[in-house]
Amino acid sequence: MNWKLFADLAEATGESEPEVDAADAATVGEALDALLDAHPALAARVLDDDGDLRGHINLLRNGRDIREGEGLATPVDEDDELALFPPVSGG
Amino acid sequence: MRTLSLVGPGTADLLDPLAARLDGRVATVRRDDGIPTGTETGEDAADTDYRLGDDGAWTAAGTDDSFDDVLDRLAPDYDYALVTGFSRLRLPTVVVGDEAVPGDEIRRAADASDLSLDDLVDAVETAEPHVTLEALVDEAKASEYADRSGAIATFTGRVRAKDDADDERTEVLEFEKYEGVAADRMARIERELEAREGVFDVRMHHRVGVVADGEDIVFVVVLAGHRTEAFRTVEDGINRLKDEVPIFKKETTEADEFWVHERSQ
Repeated sequence: MNWKLFADLAEATGESEPEVDAADAATVGEALDALLDAHPALAARVLDDDGDLRGHINLLRNGRDIREGEGLATPVDEDDELALFPPVSGG
Repeated sequence: MRTLSLVGPGTADLLDPLAARLDGRVATVRRDDGIPTGTETGEDAADTDYRLGDDGAWTAAGTDDSFDDVLDRLAPDYDYALVTGFSRLRLPTVVVGDEAVPGDEIRRAADASDLSLDDLVDAVETAEPHVTLEALVDEAKASEYADRSGAIATFTGRVRAKDDADDERTEVLEFEKYEGVAADRMARIERELEAREGVFDVRMHHRVGVVADGEDIVFVVVLAGHRTEAFRTVEDGINRLKDEVPIFKKETTEADEFWVHERSQ
């Protein structure tokens, strides 16, 4: 699992490509749990009080929004690229 | 146009050998502080003097160009600009010695002999290109459908110093992008807009790194049959880019620094 973080999420974590040991994660949700365990400062920014992904936070697997797939239940492979980022603000 | 700036002792001698290694049209720009004011054109004559031959050979001299002007003017016509003695914001820069530079420092060496041409070729080929509105317009005009196009609409987004007269000045914006995915999404938007009836060519470019107050950030160019679809498409293009492309903006004002998405929710 290769994580990429952007903007304030990278700042909160202290790095934009954190190494996370999540080789046995079967879903995006399990990979996210491993990321947040390793970097607890990130949790409040990306999860709401119920532990769900905040509506404005984007999570992409290999460039595709997981909300277009099976959400946090989307299956992952070890060499997938997962990206977590806040609302886009280009222009 | 891809660019590389080399700064420091001995780097001017690297320009020609590096140019010889690149495929495409290459411009070189050298610092020369020995040009007296009013050279060629004379103090009271024209500000710029071009001499142009029948075969396209030319020389020019003038009195009032800045380095930024020169770089922007070269961008539509050259594949590469190799520079020594100048750096600027976002310009990929190789430094010999310990001089501090405003550009993106991509290599630093103690001596010019420590730099390899292979490495410099790789640096210029992989660095973020210098793209201008004029360069995008020229590319759009080269479309195979240019004969059927009667309209080009363009949008330029730039750094606004103040929204209201009383606001603190915005000094710079710094943009970060999700490489690869940003390019894919921009390409998808371009493709989908080009599928519209009467729209022939759509090109977008968004700069990354530090962009100062008053500088351009983003360009959208639409080549279309008529003005109505050109205007609609250029508006939809910039709106979709702002909604869909993973680019993030940090703003620095006179008193503060913040991620823009954290202020606009």
